[in-house]
Amino acid sequence: MKHSHLRPVIVGAFALFAALLPYITGNLYYLHVATVIGVYWVLIATLNLLVGFTGQLSVGHVGLLAIGAYAFCLLAGGQGWNPFLALLTGGAICAAIGLVLGLPSLRLPGFYFAMATLAFGLIVSELALAEQWLTNGSVGMPAPSFPTPFDTPWGFYWLVLGIATLITWMTANLARLMWGRAMVALRDSTVAAASVAVPIYMTKLMVFVFSGFTAGISGGLYATSQSYITPDAFIVNLGIYFFVAIIIGGRGVIIGPFIGAAVLAAIPELVGPLAKYGTFFYGFILLVVVLVLPGGFGELITNVASRLRREPQVSTSIEPDLVLLRTAIRVKP
Amino acid sequence: MLLVIVSGLALGGLYGMTALVYNVMYSTSKVLSFGTGQFAMVGGICTAWLVLGLHLPLWLGFLACLASGAVFGWLSELIAVRRIIAASDEHLWVLSTLALSTMVQEAMAIWWGTDPTPFPRVFPQEFAGSFDQKFWLPLILAILMAVGLEQFYRHSMIGKLFIAMSEDSFAARARGVATDRMRSLSYVLAGVLGALSGFAGGQLTFADFALGTALGLSGFIALAVGGIGSSVCALVGGGALGMLTSLTTHYFGAEYQKTIAIGLLILLLVVRPQGLFGTTQVRHV
Amino acid sequence: MINHLEARVVTKRFGGLIAVDNVSLELRPGEVHGLIGPNGSGKTTLLNLISGYYPVDDGSIHVGGEDVTRQSVQDRARLGLARTFQTPKLVLSLSVLDNAMLGGWPDVGSGFLETAFAAPRARREEANIRERASTMLQGVGLGTVMDRRADLLEHTAQRFLEIARALTMRPKFVLLDEPAGGLTEAEIERLGAIIGVIRDSGIGVLLVEHHTDFVFRTCDRVTALNLGRMIAHGSTTAVRYDPEVIRVYLGA
Repeated sequence: MKHSHLRPVIVGAFALFAALLPYITGNLYYLHVATVIGVYWVLIATLNLLVGFTGQLSVGHVGLLAIGAYAFCLLAGGQGWNPFLALLTGGAICAAIGLVLGLPSLRLPGFYFAMATLAFGLIVSELALAEQWLTNGSVGMPAPSFPTPFDTPWGFYWLVLGIATLITWMTANLARLMWGRAMVALRDSTVAAASVAVPIYMTKLMVFVFSGFTAGISGGLYATSQSYITPDAFIVNLGIYFFVAIIIGGRGVIIGPFIGAAVLAAIPELVGPLAKYGTFFYGFILLVVVLVLPGGFGELITNVASRLRREPQVSTSIEPDLVLLRTAIRVKP
Repeated sequence: MLLVIVSGLALGGLYGMTALVYNVMYSTSKVLSFGTGQFAMVGGICTAWLVLGLHLPLWLGFLACLASGAVFGWLSELIAVRRIIAASDEHLWVLSTLALSTMVQEAMAIWWGTDPTPFPRVFPQEFAGSFDQKFWLPLILAILMAVGLEQFYRHSMIGKLFIAMSEDSFAARARGVATDRMRSLSYVLAGVLGALSGFAGGQLTFADFALGTALGLSGFIALAVGGIGSSVCALVGGGALGMLTSLTTHYFGAEYQKTIAIGLLILLLVVRPQGLFGTTQVRHV
Repeated sequence: MINHLEARVVTKRFGGLIAVDNVSLELRPGEVHGLIGPNGSGKTTLLNLISGYYPVDDGSIHVGGEDVTRQSVQDRARLGLARTFQTPKLVLSLSVLDNAMLGGWPDVGSGFLETAFAAPRARREEANIRERASTMLQGVGLGTVMDRRADLLEHTAQRFLEIARALTMRPKFVLLDEPAGGLTEAEIERLGAIIGVIRDSGIGVLLVEHHTDFVFRTCDRVTALNLGRMIAHGSTTAVRYDPEVIRVYLGA
């Protein structure tokens, strides 16, 4: 929705950097971290639409990640399906579950909805342990890999990059076109949204289902990136992490949550022994952001940018142009 | 079978008390705090540490438990609620209480460890089956707490001020009520009550860092079943959830505890969002 | 009356209180119809009943001949009913232009996936609505601040933005809820001129206002309420000199 000539340049430069990353760093470990960032981003990008744009505080998306992961492993591994088909099917399953979950809970006000999604995340992690016949319980299961050329770290990285780019493009389109305005209206003023005929419930539901689909895809990719999944990979804290990445990054922006996702993926990998402090610091950062900077770092960046552009804060003198108005209202295309 | 019923009632007492704690904070701030369950967790761990770890006498552990609840209640109002209420965005308190709750829980996990540890006996008593104190303490205390709160609201000046604030906080402020101080006081009270419930339920739940989230969720389900605002309804909601949990554990095993309880919640929120006893509110444009 | 907006004998109760008591009102295309009454007379409640935010207890609402009594706010908006609010309801984190463009939503036919893939139809609709909205903004006088965030606007500008958004909907009827609140005399003049242009293009305007002078200057017909009941309705002159209206406004 903002017109900036700088932005395509930045995006282009970053895309180039991302595509050439395997050549830039020979270190396979960094490549793995970058791959995990991409995997999380596939989920967070659309969760951002739900949380950051539409304002629905879903804390339990980790449940959908888990279902996507297990579905992928079972279909492509146990049943021998084509991995791409399994990936899409996992996405479809999670979209359907998103529909079933969203139908009742999206009618609820903020706190109740958050609780319902938290509850969903807890149920999934509990069932993952309990339903041993399906999930092997705490033992977990191995994840199949994709056919060549995507079975190498480089190849898999580019697969994730490709999918992440597609998803980012889709969310960017949704954000900058009319649907994006409708979504933000749902977050900031449902009265205004209703007055211009935005279907409140249906819009929320569609965003929720879409975010469910990509969460499922993200789950399958996550499984392959870890090579082996167990129920404790999908603890509720991870769901809070995703949520926090978006809030910290800035609601209603895309770049901000991406940085949040990158930090989220990188911290446990790079920090190692300090990892157990991770959740504490996430809570701390969230608290600071909420108290000081509710718009997240994304808002900080846009504020600084507009300060730099030095917009003159002149008092608006409203001079209607009646002739223009007259012709404009009459025109009926 | 008696054991199943008694443990169901005990759990019900614990959940009901948590619902009461929600109510106390909600009355003055219209905030449903994510950290509601953490008071019990902090109180329980504090007592276990002092009594079993440092071998201090039980009454000291009890006082420290209440004090810890009071401090955390006061802090949570100050940090997570006070500034947020003034802001226009109502979603923010969900985030701030979630953040604070996460911090408290993780800090406990780091300092105390993640294994649930035993809680000291309150009264000298050999393990007595269905009549063991670990069942009766939470149940009796829950009833006492509900009755006490009702008396407090009806007969004490501060209690009546809380009610005034819950009905119309603007009007209360216009009439000279120090709403900030009252809210802080209600959170301190909530913290004390929460810690007390942790003390009463400690033998049932053990001193466990993860208790806070689980209790917060269960207490919320109890609240949703009974409806916000009424002490009796909170207990009824808690009792219903407690019995359901106990019965499902008995027949299906402990693995489905959460699933069934949460299924109940979602069903209820869909069918009757205002709870079994609550009333619908008129929205104002 | 096929192309009118009508409220027929509507009643609304809140608990034991009757907020609107058997009120009928008819808004014609190309007229400015004033709705006046002291505080608590039920003006805003009636507006909320007509636009669909409250359900009626008795009576019916008709937009362009269609019975919309059971229809949602959104359905009525799609039939050409636009409104502004007593306190401006804007999307504060979006720009002025984005807010006005929201008024184009009823014309958006592109679905969710279509938009996600930036289909030609979605892009075309975006361009059309952008042009329409920016023209409306210039028309009401906000052309210079189109890229400013809505929460940085002054009160008057926010009110005019709501009007621009309503006009972007290409409505048949516009309901204005106390649009002159907080405006200076000069700004009220401009508001009156804008309302005049809206009326001249065939749109029916329902003007709820406290400034009775402004109402009598601007309106063709007036309905007066007191304590939820209609006490007078008809031409501006007739209502202005109605003895009951004078009594209610000048005290008993």
